[in-house]
Amino acid sequence: MTTAPIITTSALTKRFGRATALDGLDLHVDEGEVHGFLGPNGAGKSTTIRVLLGLIKPSSGTASVFGLDPWADPETIHRDVAYVPGDVSLWPGLTGGEAIDLLASLRGGAEAALRAELIEQFEFDPRKKARTYSKGNRQKVALIAAFARPARLYILDEPSSGLDPVMESVFRQQVQRVRAAGATVLLSSHVLSEVEQLCDRVTIIREGRVVESGSLAELRHLSRTSFRVSGMADAAAVRALPGVHDLVAVGDSVEFEADADAIPAVLAAVAGGGAHAVTAAPASLESLFLRHYSETR
Amino acid sequence: MNGLGVILLSQLKRDRWVLTFWLGGIGLLGISVATAITTQFADDAERTAIIQIAAANPAFLFLRGLPDGVSLGAVAFFQGFAFTAVLAGLMSTFLVVRHTRADEEAGRAELLGATPIARSTMLAATLVLGTLANVALVGLLSLAYIGGGLDGGGSVVAAFAVGAVGLVFVGVAALVAQLMPSGRSANGVASALVIGAYLLRGIGDALGTPSDDLLSATPSPISWLSPIGWGQATRPYTEPTLLPLLLSLAVFIVLAGASVAVRSRRDLGSSLVPERSGRASARFGGRSVLGLAWRLQRATVLGWVAGVVVLGAIAGGLGPVVAEAVAENDTLAALIGSLVPGSTADTAEVFIAALLGIGGVLAAAAGVQAMLRLRAEEVEGRAELLLATPVSRARWLGATALVATASVLIVTVALGVATGGVLARSSGDGADVLRYAGAALAHAPAALVFVAIAALAFALVPRVTIALGWGLLVIGLFLGQFGELLQLPGWLQAVSPFFHSSAVPVVEFDVVAAIILLAMTVVGLAVALIALRRRDLTS
Repeated sequence: MTTAPIITTSALTKRFGRATALDGLDLHVDEGEVHGFLGPNGAGKSTTIRVLLGLIKPSSGTASVFGLDPWADPETIHRDVAYVPGDVSLWPGLTGGEAIDLLASLRGGAEAALRAELIEQFEFDPRKKARTYSKGNRQKVALIAAFARPARLYILDEPSSGLDPVMESVFRQQVQRVRAAGATVLLSSHVLSEVEQLCDRVTIIREGRVVESGSLAELRHLSRTSFRVSGMADAAAVRALPGVHDLVAVGDSVEFEADADAIPAVLAAVAGGGAHAVTAAPASLESLFLRHYSETR
Repeated sequence: MNGLGVILLSQLKRDRWVLTFWLGGIGLLGISVATAITTQFADDAERTAIIQIAAANPAFLFLRGLPDGVSLGAVAFFQGFAFTAVLAGLMSTFLVVRHTRADEEAGRAELLGATPIARSTMLAATLVLGTLANVALVGLLSLAYIGGGLDGGGSVVAAFAVGAVGLVFVGVAALVAQLMPSGRSANGVASALVIGAYLLRGIGDALGTPSDDLLSATPSPISWLSPIGWGQATRPYTEPTLLPLLLSLAVFIVLAGASVAVRSRRDLGSSLVPERSGRASARFGGRSVLGLAWRLQRATVLGWVAGVVVLGAIAGGLGPVVAEAVAENDTLAALIGSLVPGSTADTAEVFIAALLGIGGVLAAAAGVQAMLRLRAEEVEGRAELLLATPVSRARWLGATALVATASVLIVTVALGVATGGVLARSSGDGADVLRYAGAALAHAPAALVFVAIAALAFALVPRVTIALGWGLLVIGLFLGQFGELLQLPGWLQAVSPFFHSSAVPVVEFDVVAAIILLAMTVVGLAVALIALRRRDLTS
């Protein structure tokens, strides 16, 4: 995999009046990767994306896409970008097909065969007026317009939030197709299975700052392991260890979580404590996200 | 009934600012018309003169209504009633559609429809809300007229006459909302019916018979086809009677009942007029920003063109009639002659020039509407979708400005051609068409200034774009059309671009003024282009 940065931001800050939406955000997306962009609602994902598209101007810090400044040169960047917003709003009087053609044409025109195939796969009726479409159907318009013409970078802001499971899988196939063709994808999402299946690397942000970034394997390594130990005479030995969290006694068992670097000490304490049954589970992605999403501030 | 109360309360809460704005605005109009008459026309002789000119002039009758004596109240009612009634009608139709078809379309009605209330309860609540709004309007207008110095009893009757028009259109809009498939189309049809009521009354009044002393006029039966005509028939300051309003009340009850009956029988979301399906792919024109800007403005321009063609036909058709009426009356001819600078002007031309001036304002409104759409595009998130493609903001604004300019030109030329075309039929001179197209175009430069103002507002102070765009147009209209009547200082009148339009064919076309107006437009648009590049896209 090549490592030319497609997106870089450094110390990116955006303030709206007194509110700080982005607070020194550093994001790196390499060429050819599908990059998961995660964070609770209001963390600053959409604001970051708007800065990357040159729709809003950073208060301080820098952003670059394809090595260009999006605020100074948005049109050049947009030639190679396909964008799907989180909440798609369409022109009520245009049909879905007309909206697809308009958006794709402004980027240079849809590939007719690809457009037809996407409309079929997404089971989309392009003849209806946009005002009659549901959220999922409006999203399909933006998705079809985005995928109907090859781009170098796809910026997708919670693109599957209105889709049913079948359509979600169509969406995943499309992401995999463009990745195979060498494109880069920045995918903001809350759907963990989607992230797990599609993303090479993820960045988790909270309150406008990056709290975690790396490959999924790396993130798992950083996270805790869950233990359940039965028959241990004295749980206090484990409780006292540094790096052990959330210990609770359930009958004759104890349950706790341990940081990666605390595991040798935990295993020693368990072995010495007379345990007769041990289960250890790697942190699920879900627990990782929950920890970052809900951490008290 | 409990469900009705809860829903009524929630609708009222949602509407508190919109309704305050509408009621306050109409009340303000009421008090300013009353005050203008009591202060500017305190003298009996002046009022007699103005009413005599009006009574002899079908065009005045068309635009304003029927004169009914020269008391302060009667003159104020003549000046203000038809227009105030149109506003009451529009307030009512927008209110009803907002809570019925528009809600249904947006899916809010579905949420409420799932609660244990009858299918028609929401509609019933809206009918009650519309009635309450018009009752409040009656109270406010009574106070406004009395506060402006008009007779007490007559003022209450006049206020009821306005409220009754509003009430009829509550019923009209309730039924229209059941029949049309979208909030947008329901609003379109309902407000077209309001304008239709105004025009019907106008035609009936214009064809009416003035009394011998030219102090009053009896309408032709056509006026009785219009709810605004019924309101006018209350004759509040001369022979006040509420009887004609029983007709309004009856029509409201029938329409409201019919709408409730339709609502209780139909499915949620269904309509008599179905939503048609359209093209599966875009035409060539639908694949560019300019094509999109035109597509979004097309229906609006067609609506304005239809309006000004009617206006032009009236101007062209009534102009010669006016001239004839005036020619038969020496004192009137002298009066009109003294109103016009330069005694050479013929009466028909004065009248037509005045209507073409109104056309300039309508053209400006069409252009402003195109520019203001940019703000809606931004707020509703479509601009984000568009500007994430290689389309620059300059191209986006530029394409819209082009469409706005085209709208102004199309509307002015349509008015001129309609006026000249009808005139040519009676005069037999085909050159009239070109002459009046040119005369109407003389108002385009001033109208274009408002396009630039709307663009500037959008680029510099996006949050108040809509208020500024329409507000400044209304102020310009007010200064231009009423500045003379209210005897405002010349410099203040001169603030309005319309003040600098040349009333061709009565006066010569002022080339310098037109060039200055056009230069202001170009500079304004250029500044807007630069400023838009420098601001955040908001949502």
